[in-house]
Amino acid sequence: MPEGVFDLFDEYAAAYARGERPQARAYLERAGEGADELARLLEVFVQAAPVPPPDEDTVALVGAWLEGQPPLVELRARRGVRVEDVVEALVSGLGLDPAKRAKVKRYYQRLEGGLLEPAGVAAAVWRVLGELVPRAEEAAGWRPEQAAAGAYLRVSGAVPAAGATGRARAAPGEPDEIDRLFLSGG
Amino acid sequence: MHDARDAEDRRLLEAGEHKLLLAAYFHPVRERCFLRLRDRAAGDEAAQRVFLRLLEELRRGKVYRVPYRVVVWMVCEWTLGGFWPGAKHEGTLPEEWDATASDAFAEWEDDHDLGVLLAGLPPRQREVLDLRYREGLGPEQIAERLGITRNAVDQALHNGHRKLREALGA
Repeated sequence: MPEGVFDLFDEYAAAYARGERPQARAYLERAGEGADELARLLEVFVQAAPVPPPDEDTVALVGAWLEGQPPLVELRARRGVRVEDVVEALVSGLGLDPAKRAKVKRYYQRLEGGLLEPAGVAAAVWRVLGELVPRAEEAAGWRPEQAAAGAYLRVSGAVPAAGATGRARAAPGEPDEIDRLFLSGG
Repeated sequence: MHDARDAEDRRLLEAGEHKLLLAAYFHPVRERCFLRLRDRAAGDEAAQRVFLRLLEELRRGKVYRVPYRVVVWMVCEWTLGGFWPGAKHEGTLPEEWDATASDAFAEWEDDHDLGVLLAGLPPRQREVLDLRYREGLGPEQIAERLGITRNAVDQALHNGHRKLREALGA
């Protein structure tokens, strides 16, 4: 096993023990060809290691989820960040056309409400968003409890359900930059 | 090694503090699901199914005679075993399971307890790795805590790591 893999394991495990919530995805990317081995080590470790106490954001995120509220809204609101603040940051941070601010706002609100697939959102969006609302990407992946239960019962391979668990689609016409940022990873 | 967590989980269970109880396992469960499925979206979907199952049992007032972390990891394993994204139903998730059969989980616990994994190491290596992976201390901090040289810490880490790799199945 490559030496680098265990160095990465050691780094992750120590950060985990300190309650820093390391993200395995980043470590697997660093492991390169050793990613499979590292994944196996880390999977055993997270089950074997003492569970650190949760931080306030995690408690808030889970609390919102249990109450049927979008976790991302909760994390944003806790920081006193308004939707308009987020929209302004996205428009200016991504160099978008200010005339399309309303479109950006609609997409962001869908994201908050669990109506967009986080995997389709570009890394650049998460980077800007994360500066205002840390852990936004994490929160966006968790639909409110009832919506998650609906997705749980969704028939495999069926057309996405309408309403809260449906997938947003681009407006008619050629997708523009904003559509690509929120629907197809940029 | 899990005594403090187990005691806190018992307290939260008795107090009906489901939010705090589940929040503690949010990151570990999410990480485990991602590590198994190697896809963040699928991992989050699986993790939410785990939490929905845990929540359903909590709301039913289900009583466990094994530590709650064992419950969490069992539900995780069942969910991941029969999971694919968007599936209607996990065939392997049991409707009922005998949480009173605590002996049944003794072997599982032995394989999933960092303290047990470290128990086979020589005392110095065990001490050093315990401080590294239970408290997250850096080598300098470990040296200061144990009153040994940095070089002694590095040696213990190097030798302990080799044995830990074997114990973790690498």
